Amino acid sequence: MNYRRTRAIYRKEFLHIIRDPRSLVAALLQPLVMLLIFGWALSLDVDRIPTYVYDADQTPQSRALVNDFKGSRYFDIVAQVDSYHPIEQAIDKRTCLLGVVIPENFGRDLGLKKNAQVQLLLDGSDSNTAAIAKGYAESVVAVRSAQLQATIQAMQVKPPSVNADVRVWYNPDLLSGNFIVPGLIAVIVMIIAANLGSLTIAREWENGTMEQLLSTPARPSEIALGKLAAYFVVGTADMVIALLVGIYVFDVPLKGSPVLLLVSSAIFLFGALGLGIMVSAMFRSQLMAYQMGTLLSFLPAFLLSGFIYSIGSMPRVIQVVSLFVPARYFMEIARGIFLKGIGIELLWFNLLLLVGYGALVFYFATRKLRQKVA
Amino acid sequence: MRQRLRCIIHKELIQALRDPRMRSMLFLPPLIQLLIFGYAASLDVDNAKIAWMDQDHTPESRQLLSEFEGSGRFELAGMPDNERAMQRMMDKGQVDAVIRVLPGFARDVKRGRTTNVQILVDGTNSNTASIVSGYASQCIARYSNEVAQQGQRSMLVASTEESGGAIRPAVPQITSRTRVWFNPDLRSRNYFIPGVIVNIITLVTLSLTAMAIVREKEIGTMEQLMVTPIRPTELIIGKTLPFVLVGIWDMLLVMGAALLIFHVPFRGSFWLLLGSTLLFLLTSLGAGLFISTVSKTQQQAMMATSLFFQPFFMLSGFTFPIRNMPVVAQWMTFLNPVRYFMEIVRGVFLQGAGVEALWTQMVALAIFGVVILWLSVMRFHKQLE
Amino acid sequence: MLPKGNGGPAVHIDKLVKRFGDFVAVDNVSIDVAPGEIFGFLGPNGAGKSTTIRILCGLLPPTSGSATVGGFDVAKQPEDVKHNIGYMSQKFSLYDDLTVQENIEFFGGVYGVPSDKLAARRDYVLQMAGLEEKRTTMTRLLAGGWKQRLALGCAILHEPPILFLDEPTSGVDPIARRNFWFLIYQLSAAGHTIFVTTHYMDEAEYCHRVALMYGGRIIALGSPAELKTSLGAGHLLNLETSDLLGSMTALEGQSGILDIAVFGGGLHVKVDDPAAAIPRIYQVLKDKAIAVYALDSIVPSMEDVFVGLIEKEEEKAPA
Repeated sequence: MNYRRTRAIYRKEFLHIIRDPRSLVAALLQPLVMLLIFGWALSLDVDRIPTYVYDADQTPQSRALVNDFKGSRYFDIVAQVDSYHPIEQAIDKRTCLLGVVIPENFGRDLGLKKNAQVQLLLDGSDSNTAAIAKGYAESVVAVRSAQLQATIQAMQVKPPSVNADVRVWYNPDLLSGNFIVPGLIAVIVMIIAANLGSLTIAREWENGTMEQLLSTPARPSEIALGKLAAYFVVGTADMVIALLVGIYVFDVPLKGSPVLLLVSSAIFLFGALGLGIMVSAMFRSQLMAYQMGTLLSFLPAFLLSGFIYSIGSMPRVIQVVSLFVPARYFMEIARGIFLKGIGIELLWFNLLLLVGYGALVFYFATRKLRQKVA
Repeated sequence: MRQRLRCIIHKELIQALRDPRMRSMLFLPPLIQLLIFGYAASLDVDNAKIAWMDQDHTPESRQLLSEFEGSGRFELAGMPDNERAMQRMMDKGQVDAVIRVLPGFARDVKRGRTTNVQILVDGTNSNTASIVSGYASQCIARYSNEVAQQGQRSMLVASTEESGGAIRPAVPQITSRTRVWFNPDLRSRNYFIPGVIVNIITLVTLSLTAMAIVREKEIGTMEQLMVTPIRPTELIIGKTLPFVLVGIWDMLLVMGAALLIFHVPFRGSFWLLLGSTLLFLLTSLGAGLFISTVSKTQQQAMMATSLFFQPFFMLSGFTFPIRNMPVVAQWMTFLNPVRYFMEIVRGVFLQGAGVEALWTQMVALAIFGVVILWLSVMRFHKQLE
Repeated sequence: MLPKGNGGPAVHIDKLVKRFGDFVAVDNVSIDVAPGEIFGFLGPNGAGKSTTIRILCGLLPPTSGSATVGGFDVAKQPEDVKHNIGYMSQKFSLYDDLTVQENIEFFGGVYGVPSDKLAARRDYVLQMAGLEEKRTTMTRLLAGGWKQRLALGCAILHEPPILFLDEPTSGVDPIARRNFWFLIYQLSAAGHTIFVTTHYMDEAEYCHRVALMYGGRIIALGSPAELKTSLGAGHLLNLETSDLLGSMTALEGQSGILDIAVFGGGLHVKVDDPAAAIPRIYQVLKDKAIAVYALDSIVPSMEDVFVGLIEKEEEKAPA
């Protein structure tokens, strides 16, 4: 590989990038927009669930239960109604997610030492929120039940009870921002690779300049490397922006080594761009290259890397597919370094895979380019 | 005019369908998204992995373990016997939580003393963490209840024997019965797949429209077209109509798969869905047109699409509920046409909602659509002069 | 001045064949081009010219047969070939968003022009192309003629012994074309071998030798003068009358009249014996009461030659 030729190509690509300010600005804006959306607006945390309460009993016991719901940060009692119908309507209209119905004989049954039942109505459309809300609501009831037993039994002998002592590691306040932002960096890199890298070769084919380029002594590997290097600069800028915003604006803790983070990110970026360029070499039309690029880089990074959806819950087949998604390995690295503070002794395998991936896609990109001469 | 229009539409369709790779692009993205969202993307936590650290080694602690194992929610991934090993498992992300039974557990239970079981949760994924700790707490609560019942029974037996009275019934419990509407099994896919329809339609009509127009600019054939008698309006219709067809085709494809393969319930009116789709298309085509007026190259068109599509789509309530957003963000979503379309689609699928329930969203879509389309057409006209 | 080669042909093509599926684009072509020669490759669109050039540049592999360029085999040693050639593709293929100077520097780097020589070569090319004032102009803003000269300049930065120019004058005005050919002569005089394709028949006159390609095959090969005399096989008369079409009908099939074609404002009539044909033509037309404005011998142009040859080929092949 000739350094001068590669450098000439790198310089040219860089000029292309600089001379297209719209694309450049869009590229640099992308991480900021994504961080804003994911770091600030979007959240999977569930609280302030709008709740309707229908207390048909109005006894001290039922009111105690209602107060339990009132006092919980997870529930926001929007209305107390006196019949079933408003709850139905509210759920239909999506103004309430949970309806708590306490039947008429609630207090009396409890006084008679009979079991009493509370009815919970949930809007299941949003299954995630519903599942969590269900869990919280059921545990409010369970806690009240346990306290009731405790009260009754306190008059006799103190009963044994086994409690759960929950400690949260790595992300004590369970801030979903801490969870999302490190992973977001992986997704951002993949998007840049898809958008910028996947177009570059296809565009030269469309313009006719690729044929000219291939008639020169420049080797396909030099062409691929020169282009990759130019986009690497943009990608690194994006990454650094994302990291700085994540750490200083969103206060994501960085417990591990920044150096390791930067090195891993660089390796990941190389592989992502390599993938983009490989896709670009496969097509002579920018439109196709873009579609395929998005399909192969953005979608898997977003959906199959463990970014939002946990891989463990996916069907086996898809779990196997996710083994081939490089973003998955980088996700573990990024989260590990940010939140867990782990180092290379635990991450070396992932890094090795990423290095291998980068080398593989680069090889295929070069090969594709060589074939396409025909 | 009709004839010219037909010519352009014909040309666009030929261009779009002739290339076999382009044809596959009409099928592939929707199918892949369907597969992923239907099967893979799940916020449910089905098999949380736990590590069991038993420092007591008694029948009682083993009984607690069987409570966990029998719940069907957990998968035992290991039983570390010291701190270091446990730390490693957590650090490596091999488990979602560690359940640690402290020494003296059984002794406390037998003596009727309150005691704790530690749940060490990996908080990295805050969502999973909440769910896992909830499940774990439930298991422990169930065990606690059992112990209490046993303890109570033995005490009752003891006291009745003393007093010779009848055995009183167990201490009353409050239980809850939960009914889940619309999505009784709480299956994520019922929640996501209607969203996939929105996703596909938006993506296809937005990006393909923008690209197709800008492509002509880039190649230079736009100029060629402009010297023909063709009117700007005809050009616009001709350029956008094929993608309307593609969008509807994809929608039908996804719907078919949703109903036949994934058994997502469809409780509403198909015509309502179709009508709302057409209303929404006004917006997405208008946006595509707009992007084509601010882009000189295909690359710029793609980057602009990506930049715009992301926020609008993510903030529409697709995977992340609008309710969870900061209040300011929630207000902003009122300006997001995708939000309304998402609500309509979900409403039609899961709730069987009709026009009475959804008319506000439809009106909103109509207004947005007309405004955006009109502005874009104006801009497009201006540029052609 | 370029050093003289080893004495062999600069370009040697031997029974070259290129097939795309069932379609034969290049059909058994054999040509030798001497060093310093300006070799013209003519033919209608789709004849196979561009395909041949692409094979010679190492861009396409041949199906069978062989070719060497500058002594290197195009199939086995494409990298060496690329070091020794300059290629100017049909669309001039420059980067629109780079300035004139940046394009030059890019190609200089990629052709491996040593850095100490690059500045001098760059200035030379700018001067040769007349683009000194325009060195910082964006290539996108250059008119067609300037782009053409820039493209040529970029192709000679590394002083390649052999140049391949694929339709270098398409879409360029006649004056620019003329000036361009002047440049080519200069390069040829300096020792470069130049292999040009064009579909402008008049440009064939500018070449030392010319090959006519049709349907993938060479149907004529030689210097313009040779082609005009030997392949003409007949003499050409220019005939101007008051009724062109009438004259054509009247003269067709007459003995001694080989061919009649409309040309400019008159007819070009091919005859085997002008001395006998001229009086006969006068006679025939007088009988039809068609006035004759002019009738004289002319030297056939390359276009005449080629049109004649191509028509012969078309007659051979059943439609």
